[in-house]
Amino acid sequence: MGGDMFRNILVPTDGSPLSRRAVEYAVRLAKEQKARVTGLWVGPAWEPNLYAYGNSVPPGFVSRKQHAARVRRAGARYLRAVAQAAKAAGVRCKCICAEGAFPYLEIIKTARRGGCDLIVMASHGRRGISRLLLGSQTSKVLALSDIPVLVCR
Amino acid sequence: MFKRILVPTDGSAPARRAIKRAVQFAREQKARVIGFYVGPPWQLPIYSDYVPPEIVSPKEHNAAVKKTAARYLGAVKKAARAARVPCSVRYVLGAHPYDEIVKEARRRRCDLIAIASHGRRGISRLLLGSETSKVLAHSGIPVLVCR
Repeated sequence: MGGDMFRNILVPTDGSPLSRRAVEYAVRLAKEQKARVTGLWVGPAWEPNLYAYGNSVPPGFVSRKQHAARVRRAGARYLRAVAQAAKAAGVRCKCICAEGAFPYLEIIKTARRGGCDLIVMASHGRRGISRLLLGSQTSKVLALSDIPVLVCR
Repeated sequence: MFKRILVPTDGSAPARRAIKRAVQFAREQKARVIGFYVGPPWQLPIYSDYVPPEIVSPKEHNAAVKKTAARYLGAVKKAARAARVPCSVRYVLGAHPYDEIVKEARRRRCDLIAIASHGRRGISRLLLGSETSKVLAHSGIPVLVCR
């Protein structure tokens, strides 16, 4: 088996059970297609409190650096699952932790930059309410992607 | 991983591209391709008590759909034959293509639906086709959305 149709499979995860299923799918498919997997987790963007505090720093203020460290730490936990699944299957894997207010944009950007040729995604992640609704990020990725998207249920 | 891939087509250019991809993917997966077309059901044009002169009989309508289906599904068969992928095709009449697609996938125990992001009625590349988004909503199996 194996071919040259899909060589680099992007699998964005938000750590939800459905997206873990998508990771399983991506890794299995990558193994069969002799492709590699790019895991992606998108954390929230840094949003400083921009109130009129004058010179005072509000309590609980998080600096840009601290925020980046937190995102990296949170992302590492979710991406470890991807790396482990890939390792167990003997699939080459690279994990990327991004930061942005709009996860779908980061997904599209990462796919383009990394030269991915397939995105494997859950039909909905954390915020998907109903089985009849497509997740907000998934539907935006479907609308904007230039490459095929495999939507897992 | 995937053994039976359902490939719905409406004969449009995006659907033809999806067929190409689906067949190539099926070859790599050693899967079977099932081409599928949903034609419009026969409808009696009713204008109160006036019957228009060039009315199409159900028989004529069915013949026309059959011809269209043969053309659209012929593209699937041809692509599959060229790639030496096992292939079968089927068409049905139905007012709601997405419903027929999801039902057919279940009936034929498919494990993947490969479909274009939009077909005939997809206007903008920023919109997902209406039938595709409904298939995505109702399908119990993974869907490969091709651009």
